[in-house]
Parts: sequence; structure tokens; C-alpha cells
Amino acid sequence: MSDRPVSTSEGMVMSSMLWRYVLLIAGLALLLAIPAFTSSYVQFVINLTLVFILVALGFNIVLGYLGQLAFANAAFFGIGAYAVAISMDSLGLPFWLAMLPAAAVGAIVGGLVGLPALRLKGYYLAIVTLVFGELMRWLYIQGGEITRGSLGIGISNPDILGIPLRTDNEKYYFVLITVILTLWLVVNILRSKFGRAWVAIRDNEPAAASLGFSPGLYKVLAFAVSGCIVAIAGGLFALVIGRVSPESFNLHNLLLHFTIVMVGGLGSVTGSVVGAVILTGAPELLRNFPGMEEILFSLILIGVLLFMPGGIYGKLAERWPAMREKLYRG
Amino acid sequence: MFLQLVLSGISQGCIYALFALGMTILYRSTAVLNFAHAKVFMLGAFAVYLLLQVPGMPFVVAAVLAIAAIFVLGMGIERVVMRPIMYGPHIAVAMMTVAVSYLFTGIARFFWGREVYPMPQVFSYPPMQVGGLIITTQDLIIAGITLIFVLAFFILFRFTRFGRIARAVSSSARGAALVGINVKACHSLMWGVSCMLGAVAGILVAPITLLHPDMGDAVLIRAFAAMTLGGFGHFGGAVAGGIAIGVMEQLAGGYLSTALIDIFAFLVVIVFLIARPQGFFGQKEIVRV
Repeated sequence: MSDRPVSTSEGMVMSSMLWRYVLLIAGLALLLAIPAFTSSYVQFVINLTLVFILVALGFNIVLGYLGQLAFANAAFFGIGAYAVAISMDSLGLPFWLAMLPAAAVGAIVGGLVGLPALRLKGYYLAIVTLVFGELMRWLYIQGGEITRGSLGIGISNPDILGIPLRTDNEKYYFVLITVILTLWLVVNILRSKFGRAWVAIRDNEPAAASLGFSPGLYKVLAFAVSGCIVAIAGGLFALVIGRVSPESFNLHNLLLHFTIVMVGGLGSVTGSVVGAVILTGAPELLRNFPGMEEILFSLILIGVLLFMPGGIYGKLAERWPAMREKLYRG
Repeated sequence: MFLQLVLSGISQGCIYALFALGMTILYRSTAVLNFAHAKVFMLGAFAVYLLLQVPGMPFVVAAVLAIAAIFVLGMGIERVVMRPIMYGPHIAVAMMTVAVSYLFTGIARFFWGREVYPMPQVFSYPPMQVGGLIITTQDLIIAGITLIFVLAFFILFRFTRFGRIARAVSSSARGAALVGINVKACHSLMWGVSCMLGAVAGILVAPITLLHPDMGDAVLIRAFAAMTLGGFGHFGGAVAGGIAIGVMEQLAGGYLSTALIDIFAFLVVIVFLIARPQGFFGQKEIVRV
């Protein structure tokens, strides 16, 4: 497992690895058992939380690891959801197959949106991505028969290889497995040469370039990975909600994405998971009070920016340095 | 048809120009791109609406009071949330303005909900006919006030002591501080001035549009288009760009398709930022290591 020199004896390593596996299996068992204890509505919110873990994770790659302000996240999310819905509705693909074009389209569009990063820095990129998000929303509404205008497309009878995904409990297992696999994949990408290059570009772009990392190329890659992950989340979102419509992907929804990433912690996988778990349920509670969602979330965001720029994870890592996420294997 | 479209384009474009000018002033003096500018625009219009409805003030008094209130609000934003992170990473600074933007949306939505509000009729003079062209009073007022503000700002920035201080702060905050300029006070004032211009644009457009918490979002994107077209951070470029966007989108809407009005500015931003990021008047950015 570890190819780095370790100071502890072989037996200690074995037992700590054993503990890790025990914890992992116990955690998985707990996650698998959740549907036994929930009502349908609570299960729906849990499913949504899992989806937003991926949303935050994808956003964090661009925002936290690459350090670029971008507003295209809601657009990637929408593209994933619409790709699944259109593949099922117009092409007649089954749900599980429709997830593949969603991920592919997300990656391609992500890379395309990242292309201006070859020439543009800072605010320019923010503006291009903001405009791109609005352009996508215009397309959803003007898309005629394909996107069905502002009414949106319903997801009917999703299944995976014949196993139906109708109830919230059935959907939960599919979402859970997809999220865990994606999470594992992202953690490994971040620990590879790519993740380290993104962080290097964030911290000092000219220095990273002088080490031979082309900032433009790695930025485009980061956008492609981010777009792919958020589009997968979008596909899962379509499954969980059961309907895809333009108003789910406007700038207003971006506030939730921003807040989850910032509260959890910029540049932290754990942070994104924690942020999504804490915050995804909140809009559900505030649904009946107009404006309260924006007020609460923006105040949280302002508070985090002023008083703990590293988010919850940053505070924890400050206190317990052992929690710090490593960007290398071992 | 052509002249009529150009005319209404200029009237629309003046709103974009004022809006973009406000953003440019802030960008030049503090290097902050204010994503909350759309909300200041909206709050200006709502403040006038409130003053017209509740105490029943005349329009001009309500407008002046609203502008003053937004000026103070702008200084308040700088003092409370921007100053503590002034030297922070630019992503945090930009995100703070995004957060402020959502906060204002939330406050407006809390009081006014999701409905749209028509502004009561302010000027009821009949529109004039000049050689087949229909010119409304509102068009004239928008163009006139825009002209006054733009000229006032050019004179202020070019020829006064205040303008020299502002230009010194924008070219180097540290250098300005070294020669004894109060940079923080200058930034605060710039926030006030910038927000005030946003509010003026909002108040001017209010009588011919509907009020709702998201009314500024479309204008924000057009202002970005105006700023990119004119060259980011260029005052004259922002104004000329705003009017050009207004005219071009009206022409595109009139001759090609009305659906194009909504996305014309998007296309301008994307094409220009990729092909010519420095716009027409801007200078190429050179990064020194």
C-alpha cells in the first residue's frame, strides 16, 4: 500500500490498516442500512444530499484546487440532467445507459468552457462562465420539442439493467454507489500529477509554468473533470427529482453550490462532503419563506469569507494537522 | 424602421452605459468587479417605488432620496464586508460581492415576493413625432441624464483634485498611501459613487419596465458585454460599448429574430473575450513575473 518510508514498525502499520478497513466496512454497512430507518421524504433529502456532494466536489476542483472563479457549475449540472433526460426522452435509451452520454457531454462542454482559460485570467473567465450559464438556460427554454421549454422533461420509469429505480429507497442505492465510485476517482485524480499541477497553478502560475506545467492545458483539464463530475451529479439529480426543468439550473441555484463549497472548505474533498451534508437540507426547510433561503445562505457565505476563509475543514485542519489532506499517495 | 430601432437602442444603451460606467469606476479604483451591481440597480428602483407608494412623495424627491440612500449603502458595503478582505485573494473578494448580491435579492424577495410590480406612470406627456420617428419623454430623459452624468464624471476624473487622487489610488494603492492619500476613504467613496450610478440607471429604467428582484441580472450581462467591447476598465469604452450593445441588439431583434435580443450580449461577450480580450479601446494586459 505505502511506498514511502514509514517510521512505525511493520506490525503497527498492519493494525492501523486493519482498523481502516474495519471502519470502512462499518461505515459502508451504516450507509447501506439507512433506508431501513427513513421515511420517503427523509430518504429523498438524503438522496439529494448525495447528489450535492458530487456537485460541490466538481465545483471545488475549479474553485478550490484550480483557484479560478467560475459560474458555470449550474450550467454543467443542467447539462448533465438534460443529457440524461433527452437521451431517455428523444433517443429512448434506458436510464443507466443515458448516464454515459451525460458524463461525456459534461466533460466535453467543461473542456470547451475552460478553453478561454488559455487566454483569459481572473475576472474574464468568471464573466465567460457566467454568460455561458445564462446562454444554456436560454437554450433549455428555446429548445422546442427537444427540451420542452420551461415545462421541462419528465423522467419515466428509470431502471438499471432491468432493476427498477422508482422509490426513493431504490434510487438511493444507485446514487450511493455512483457517488462513492466518483468520490474515489476524484480523490485519486487529486493525488496524481494532475491534482498537484492544479494546486501549483493556483498557488503560483508563473512558477508552475516554469516547471513545465502548461497552465492552459491543465486548466482545460480541470474544467473537463469538473464538468464531467457535475454532469454526473446532474444525471443523478434528474433521477432523484424525476423531472428536469430550466429553473433548477439558474444563477439562484448557484448560491447553494457556492455556500456548500465555502462552508466545507475550499480545496478539500472532506469539506465538500461535510458542507453538502450540513446544507443540502436547509432549502427544504425554508421553502415556505420567500427570500429567507437567499438571506440565510448569503449571510453564511459572508460570515465564512470574513471569519473562516478555510471553511469548517480549514478550522479542523488548523487544530489537528493530521487531518490535512495529502496530495501524494501514501 | 431603422432609425426607430436605432433610437430605442440608444435609449436602452444609455442604461447599459450608466450601469457599465459605475462598474468600471469601481473596477479601476479598487480592482473589484462588483457582481452585486445588478442588485444595487434593483434596489434603487425599489427604493423609489417605496417612496412613491408609502409617503406619496413626488418622483423627483423620491429619486434624489433613493440615490442618496444607495450612495450610503455602497459606502456601507465597502466598510462592513469589503474592507476586512481588501488584501485577500481576488477570488474571495469577488465571491464576497456575489454573496452581497444574493443577500440583496433575498431581502427584496422577502418584502416583495416573486411577483412583478409595475411602476406608477411618472411622466404622462404624449410622445413626440419627429419626421415619422416616435420619441417618448422617457427616452429623452434617459439620454439627457446619462449625458449629464457621463460628462460630469469625465470632468471630475480628468480635471479635479478629487479625480487626480482617484487616479493615483487606482494606478497604485500602495504608492498613493505612501504620499499620504487616504486609500480606504477613497475606496469607500468609490463604492458609494459606483453604486449611485447603478441606482440612477435602475431609477431611469423603472418607469418603462417592471420591478422584480432579478430585474438587474439581464443588464449586468449587457454591462459585461459593454465593458468587454470597449476594453475592460476603460471609461469611454464602457459608455460607447453600452450604447453600441443597445443599438446592435435592437437591430438584431428587429431584423433577425426577437429571441436574439436576449442572447445578443452573450454572444458579444464570448466572441470578444476569446478573439480580442482587450476590446476596442483597452490595452493588452502584460503580466510581469
